[in-house]
Amino acid sequence: MPLTPLSRPLTAEDAAHFLRRTAFGATDAQIRALVGQNAQDVARAALAFDQSRASSTPFDPMQGATPGAALQLGRGAWLYELAYGPHPLREKLALTWSNHFVVATDKVRNTPAMLDYLNLLRRHAATTSFERFTLDVAQSPAMLRYLDNDQNRKGKPNENFSRELLELFTTGIGAYTETDVREGARALTGWTFQGGRGNQQYLQQPRFVNQPQQHDAGRKTYLGQTGNLTGEDIVRIATSHPATATFVSRKLHRAFLADTPDETAVKGSAATWTRTKGDVMAVLTELLASEAFYASRARIIRSPIEFIVGGIRTLGQPPIEARTLLNLAATAGRMGQVLLEPDTVKGWDGGREWINDTTLLLRLQVAAALTMGSKAPNLDTPPSLLALTGQERPAGAVLLSSLKGRQRTYLSLISPEFQLS
Amino acid sequence: MTNRRDFLKLSALAVAATSGMPGFLARAATQAGGSKTLVVVQLTGGNDGLNTLIPYSNGAYYAARPNIAIPKKDVLTVTPDLGMHPALRPLMKLWDEGHLAWMENVGYPNPNRSHFASMAIWHTADPTQAQADGWIGRIAEKIGDPFCASNLGAATPQALQASDFSLPSIDSVDNFQLKLPGGMNTPFESLLNSPRSGEAAYLTRATRQMLKNTARVQENVKKYKTGATYPDTKFAAQLRDAARLIAAGVGQRVLYVSLGGFDTHAGQRAEQDGLLSTLAGGLSAFQADLERQGLARDVIVMGFSEFGRRVAENGSAGTDHGKGSVMFAFGQGVKGGVHGSSPDLEDLSEGDIKYKQDFRGVYAEALTRWLNLDARGILGGTFTGPRWIA
Repeated sequence: MPLTPLSRPLTAEDAAHFLRRTAFGATDAQIRALVGQNAQDVARAALAFDQSRASSTPFDPMQGATPGAALQLGRGAWLYELAYGPHPLREKLALTWSNHFVVATDKVRNTPAMLDYLNLLRRHAATTSFERFTLDVAQSPAMLRYLDNDQNRKGKPNENFSRELLELFTTGIGAYTETDVREGARALTGWTFQGGRGNQQYLQQPRFVNQPQQHDAGRKTYLGQTGNLTGEDIVRIATSHPATATFVSRKLHRAFLADTPDETAVKGSAATWTRTKGDVMAVLTELLASEAFYASRARIIRSPIEFIVGGIRTLGQPPIEARTLLNLAATAGRMGQVLLEPDTVKGWDGGREWINDTTLLLRLQVAAALTMGSKAPNLDTPPSLLALTGQERPAGAVLLSSLKGRQRTYLSLISPEFQLS
Repeated sequence: MTNRRDFLKLSALAVAATSGMPGFLARAATQAGGSKTLVVVQLTGGNDGLNTLIPYSNGAYYAARPNIAIPKKDVLTVTPDLGMHPALRPLMKLWDEGHLAWMENVGYPNPNRSHFASMAIWHTADPTQAQADGWIGRIAEKIGDPFCASNLGAATPQALQASDFSLPSIDSVDNFQLKLPGGMNTPFESLLNSPRSGEAAYLTRATRQMLKNTARVQENVKKYKTGATYPDTKFAAQLRDAARLIAAGVGQRVLYVSLGGFDTHAGQRAEQDGLLSTLAGGLSAFQADLERQGLARDVIVMGFSEFGRRVAENGSAGTDHGKGSVMFAFGQGVKGGVHGSSPDLEDLSEGDIKYKQDFRGVYAEALTRWLNLDARGILGGTFTGPRWIA
């Protein structure tokens, strides 16, 4: 059963909810602009993004003096795009995919590979073909390096990518055997890249190459299909497996509906996924206009990046110094979310995992830096309680209303209501 | 009002509610008042046990690993058949003193080669993966004190998750204090008092717990004076924080530290050599610190990884995911030596070492004979392992 579409025109709280989930947050004016609109139109408009970028960014990763500096600049550049770019939903999806097709760029240590990978996530953010997306990721130098498929040669298999393709990127555990992992590794032999290796070549562009002499062309059996399977075949078979529709739909629900997804709703999206053969755009269009989406309030604990970017966007995107933005990107790391570098290939688990004593303390400090610290941006108009909490009358509304500008904004940012979306 | 320019630098403007110890915590602190501490070290990514405790007399080992085997001449001999990786030299003093134990061929039934499934099994002590809370979380519930176990690091591992309360994660003891701008304490307290449900209620509870935990640490931690020079690594810094917490008598019975990067599919020698060096450098400094503070009798360290690697190296001078592996433990309360037989490289399971000792038996020994707890209640069954506690 596909998801039931929302039939009522959007209320102010509906609009605030939509923008918290799809744009990290918004100002009161941005919220009011959606009130009374039809949910389908709102979802389609948000998904109709192009590849344009923030007009002026202070960060250019290609200027990095070392691989590590380039990586920091890359994180700053992405944080800038997240906070100030014209298409927050595209960036939210890129962030979501970076937590699905995980690559840790400190292992890759190559700036063009990192930028290509991120742009690939943006280009496929609302892809119409999950198979094509997966193939492009599998052949990206960043992924080839991160999961060692660049080392996977005929007679010398390296199982790393083959295993994670099934376990984490497509079907999930339970749909495959250890034999599938081994056979997949054989089929993926020969995919590697040239250029951009080593610390000295970190600014050199690497390029995907298929080396037929390194490919094991023999017969293999993979997820029940037998033949002289190639890497392309493996990606097609894995992405079109029935388990993939559910497994990846569940991840989209975790990104947009709830930390603990409702499995009936997940099945609805999986049905649409199967019917459209992995058309993520179709799945998202339905999802973001559904009753289930609008019924699911305050069920996602904002990640560190969502907390920071949500703060900046809710404050109306005030200018923030480049150095402070780099500090904020580093602070997100101390809160458990280093951009372009999840701790493990499984990515960030999210939800309550974001919350512990240390990360809560850091959230308090970030809120202070945005509102009351010595370098806090000037705020002519403090955000409304609707923009800050998503509710017209949040818990503690009387208390918050009695406080003035900066103090009210500060306390709201550290309230449970702001930390949820 | 405090000068905005300065308030972020101010040290704890402790929230009023934490000035007196709440009843529940005061009771709990009494219950938790054992004097022994267990430090758990997690090697994340699947450490290659065969290149950690090396069967250097076994030709099959060298035959399976033409590029990455540790040459016999480099091995730190501990028995006629086994030797330690050369990067573990800082731990040799502990071995010579009889305080370093190796547990051979540790694993669990129906091994899972997924990092995450396997790590969850070690964290929950449940190979069926039916449990969501961690074995250390269950210790905390048993003792009744949410502060009796803490993680040193940014993210809380599943091992420390409990159903009723979140166990603390302390990324840095120095930064583990609340800094609110002047005049904000009372409004903050009022804000937390608003009734909430669902995840908002969870966040409120977590914030209240954080206020208590930070106050408890900061009240005590100034008592510590460092007794050793720690290497300049994040891992060593976290062990130093562990030593500070122990010296301060804050009350934790279990401390948890992680070192990541052991997923060595390619170019293993350089990577694992560096990691084991970081490991041994940090641990030996920690032990030296405890000894100088007169605390070494009351602290032991137990280390594990989610699985070992395949016996044969792969085509990239690395190793793919395997099954059984070694565990280690040290401290004055540990019975040194090799517990269990050398890995049988002629009788493998899908190219992997077969496990012979269940890790829950190793946990059980620490729980019953070190922490004096009922292991059965925590592990959900009776497990006997090697007698590695002295």
